[in-house]
Amino acid sequence: MSIVLAWIVLLPLCSFVLLGAMYLFSITQRRIEQRYFTFVALFSPAVVFVLGLAALRELMLRGHALHYRAYVWLHVGDYRIDMGFLGDKLSLFMVFFITLVSGLIHLYATSYMNKDEGYGKFFAYFHLFTACMLLLVLADGPLMLFIGWEGVGLCSYLLIGFYYQNNANVVAGNKAFIVNRVGDLGFLIGLAMLFFYGQSHDFSYETLALHIGAVPSEILTGIAVALFVGAMGKSAQIPLYVWLPDAMAGPTPVSALIHAATMVTAGVYMVARFHFLYDLVPHVGIFIAYIGALSAFFAALIATKQSDIKKILAYSTMSQLGYMFVSVGLGAYDSALFHVFTHAFFKALLFMGAGAVIVALHHEQDIFKMGEMRRVMPVTYATMLIATLAISGIPPFAGFFSKDEILSVAFGSGHYELWLIGTVTAVLSSYYMFRLFFVVFEGTHASHSEVHDVDWVMKAPLIVLAVGATFAGFLGLPELFGGKHLIGEWLASWRREAFHLSHVVEEILIALNVVAALLGIAIAYRKFRFYDRRVAYKPEGIVYRKFYVDELYDVLFVQSIQRLSRFIAETMDKKLVDRVVMGMSRGFVAAGTRIAWVQNASVRLYAFIMIAGIGAASCYLLAVLR
Amino acid sequence: MGILSWIIFLPMAVACVLLVLPVGAKATRNGAFGVSLVIFALAFYVHEHFVPSAQMQFYEQYDWIKSYGITYRVGVDGFSLIVLMLIATLLPSAYLLLWHNERSKSYWISMLFIQSGISGTLFSLDLFLFYFFWEAMLLPVFMIIGLFGSGNRVFSTLKITVYTIMGSLFMFVSILYLGVSHYYEFGIWSFALSDLVRISSLTQVQEMFLFAGFMIAFAIKIPLFPFHSWLLETYSTSPTGGVFLLSSIMAKLGVYALVRFTMPLFPDLFVAYARFFIGLGIFGLIYFGIAAIVQDNIKKMLAYSSASHLGLITAGVFSLNMQGLTGSAFLIVAHAIATGGLFLLVGVMQRHLGIRPLSALGGIAKRAPWFSVYFAIMLFCTVGIPGTNGFVAELLIVLGIFHYNPYLGVLAALTVLVAASYMFWVFQKAILVQSGNDVSHMRDLSLHEIVGLFPLAFLIVAMGVYPDFFLAKITPTLHYYLDTILHVGANA
Repeated sequence: MSIVLAWIVLLPLCSFVLLGAMYLFSITQRRIEQRYFTFVALFSPAVVFVLGLAALRELMLRGHALHYRAYVWLHVGDYRIDMGFLGDKLSLFMVFFITLVSGLIHLYATSYMNKDEGYGKFFAYFHLFTACMLLLVLADGPLMLFIGWEGVGLCSYLLIGFYYQNNANVVAGNKAFIVNRVGDLGFLIGLAMLFFYGQSHDFSYETLALHIGAVPSEILTGIAVALFVGAMGKSAQIPLYVWLPDAMAGPTPVSALIHAATMVTAGVYMVARFHFLYDLVPHVGIFIAYIGALSAFFAALIATKQSDIKKILAYSTMSQLGYMFVSVGLGAYDSALFHVFTHAFFKALLFMGAGAVIVALHHEQDIFKMGEMRRVMPVTYATMLIATLAISGIPPFAGFFSKDEILSVAFGSGHYELWLIGTVTAVLSSYYMFRLFFVVFEGTHASHSEVHDVDWVMKAPLIVLAVGATFAGFLGLPELFGGKHLIGEWLASWRREAFHLSHVVEEILIALNVVAALLGIAIAYRKFRFYDRRVAYKPEGIVYRKFYVDELYDVLFVQSIQRLSRFIAETMDKKLVDRVVMGMSRGFVAAGTRIAWVQNASVRLYAFIMIAGIGAASCYLLAVLR
Repeated sequence: MGILSWIIFLPMAVACVLLVLPVGAKATRNGAFGVSLVIFALAFYVHEHFVPSAQMQFYEQYDWIKSYGITYRVGVDGFSLIVLMLIATLLPSAYLLLWHNERSKSYWISMLFIQSGISGTLFSLDLFLFYFFWEAMLLPVFMIIGLFGSGNRVFSTLKITVYTIMGSLFMFVSILYLGVSHYYEFGIWSFALSDLVRISSLTQVQEMFLFAGFMIAFAIKIPLFPFHSWLLETYSTSPTGGVFLLSSIMAKLGVYALVRFTMPLFPDLFVAYARFFIGLGIFGLIYFGIAAIVQDNIKKMLAYSSASHLGLITAGVFSLNMQGLTGSAFLIVAHAIATGGLFLLVGVMQRHLGIRPLSALGGIAKRAPWFSVYFAIMLFCTVGIPGTNGFVAELLIVLGIFHYNPYLGVLAALTVLVAASYMFWVFQKAILVQSGNDVSHMRDLSLHEIVGLFPLAFLIVAMGVYPDFFLAKITPTLHYYLDTILHVGANA
């Protein structure tokens, strides 16, 4: 039965090949009608979701992790690495929400991408992405994880530059790929160190965890940091976050699936997966938590001044990911995963709602050119309100429980400064989210004409996700409310230590959280509820300019490398190396021939070879040139 | 006459027949393609009947110049087998891509001669024979560049000729010196590799010089820094076929010869200077990679890219462990396929659009989807995306070098950034983005071009998804190199 794990990965891979072949056939030979693509595009995610449930059921029945080894991937020297799959509580938890959210986004995309020239190509890439993402979470060792890890990066590149004829999109794709590769460089170094010091010949998590205790602690620190650098890239944390806002150049379903709900959370998953390593180096955990907290705050700050609806959401994603890293850093992997879970619902919903608005307004993304959308799109309005409340942390919506849990972990572990940053960020979050919400859906004097609501294929997934964004939090009800923390129980092995807070403190913290959220909403309400579109809004200042980080990186890395490249190609190679080598070889030959003639006993032999060679060459030349 | 001799001499014989017969370019081309298919079948036979062990197999030996102990002896082991399969697969594909490119009879005749030269170089186990083929395979290449090249082809032909012949001269001196030493020590003449490795009378200084003689010849062919200055002019002026042969086959034979000859002849020096050559390889990887970024000529960019990867291959060879050696063998194949494929695709593009700088391209993906898909697959392999054999190769080399020395390993890991920094940029500029340049003459690949590239794309993916399948026959040979020749132990 464990073979089902392999099918979960294999099926989307097959449908990728099928869709890709169909698409190539369609554009080069004979057109294939769109509905055939739609059929494959929806069939495979549906089956994969069911397979995921089947695996989950099997896991519950057996009570221990499923393991399936498909074949020997590589057998070199001492190492024997299998293409193996591991279905434990963590990976099947991930599979569950990935396949669920991904299925809904697929459905939504059939309408969003309707009549697009690249319809088939879009879904082919989507399925390749799904396969890689599922390989990433189901892999039984870090090497297979890395294959999925880089694979999702590739799909992200392909989908960001989906409309490849426009330069800006391709540049954004390249940027995403290369920044991610910087992270992957760190990850690869971490892998090499694990190989070298880990004493695990099959390189699976299982044996790595067994032997990790024998590794010297400074090496462990190095491995933990190097792997986390990979997570910084994939999950858009300081300083490798710069690609995520630009990645919004991709079609909106891509932003929802890849750059919000699934791929960007891979970094959090990876750290949780390596908890046996990170448990041993809590000081690296503190470092991770600080990076997370700073990223959360920094992104939220930038988001308050942006005007592109998708960029606001992108910064908000980065900010929420920051919360998750605070939590994994402090050893509360389960709380982080809880937030990954709730975030997948409300962030996918936010993006898809934004996508609906963008489609309704004929691809307008500037929020200050929107307004009063409430009247045109009531369903989108209502679902977006739920999602906005959820991300702001208003009870009883999903985001409240998971964010509250992370902040109480920060407080309970004695990192009050992290808690403070988190709470301030919460104020900013609810502020920029309601700013977006009021400007887009409320306000007065909207000037746009010809607005049409979107069809039900797009709206139905919004409603399903809204249900999730409302109720997902109840799966992790704090003890205080007399509930059962189902996710906490499910992921019980993914917590380093328990933090006990007295009920009074817990109640105060919850109250503070709600106050923080309400404070943000109140400010947004005052400033933007009755926002008048006739007053031109010109955002400026250093925050709007994102602290000039992009410009700084450009000078530091892009331009300097180009200058170096020009120097090597034009000065070093042409003027120096070529001349020196030519000169040297002349000298060497002069010397070398003399020695050779003296030392070689047989001059006749040499002469024979030369004559034979010249003879053969001349025959050949005569033959060819005649 | 054994099967290896057939593989060596069949193309040459057919070439001679075709040369005499009054047939046109087309018939010659069809003949060359037919021969390449026969060679593939023979190579496949060899592969199937090769017993996975470190032994030299399909061994043949005849006297050639008896008075000086010069023999014709050929054989294959696991390492030459993988290169043989590579060449046998690549050539038919290349011919299909060059199908309409060259309409001259002498072009295809030269190709046949080259194929003989390559196989001879690959199988030779006598240093004299090796030297003969090593030089013989170059002559037709010079011809192809000189006759069918573009731009300043005469100068670049002259430059590569002088460069490589000079390099070979050093090697030739070393070979003769070894022969003479063998004569002094044992009283008989021999140039067989298995005899020359037994020489023990050389002083350390003498060995150093001989080692250097071989290394210079190979360093020029590969090329290693600083012996690369012939590369740019030659690659950018060569016709497609020439540049394909140079980059994806001859450069690999440089690495191959390094392993085949310098390793057993000078094992101590090979181990002692490993650090130096790993450093040189990694330096080349980064140096050439950075130089590739600003190239506006796509062939020059690929030339630098090729040199960059060959630096990594060389570094892997010197890492002295199974991971590094296996990775290098893998990268030899992966890089030959990917770079070869890219050069062939660029050739197709130049046939339609003429020779253009990158800045005058763009918007090709729209017009030529098949072309772009193949281009993308080759590019992904070059960049080392998982699921391609490029990934497996780079991963293994990085791990191998890391085992040798963690600091060098960290530097080698930079490979994941190097290729990505220029390849995606080229893809963006030349293929994807609509730039307003007129590319209306661009046509998509024709059916036989699609068929021709399919085996390459298939191998890229198959070797990436199931690499172990391709390792069974080479592993014993690599173990033998490490255990018995270098005495460092396979699992060091």
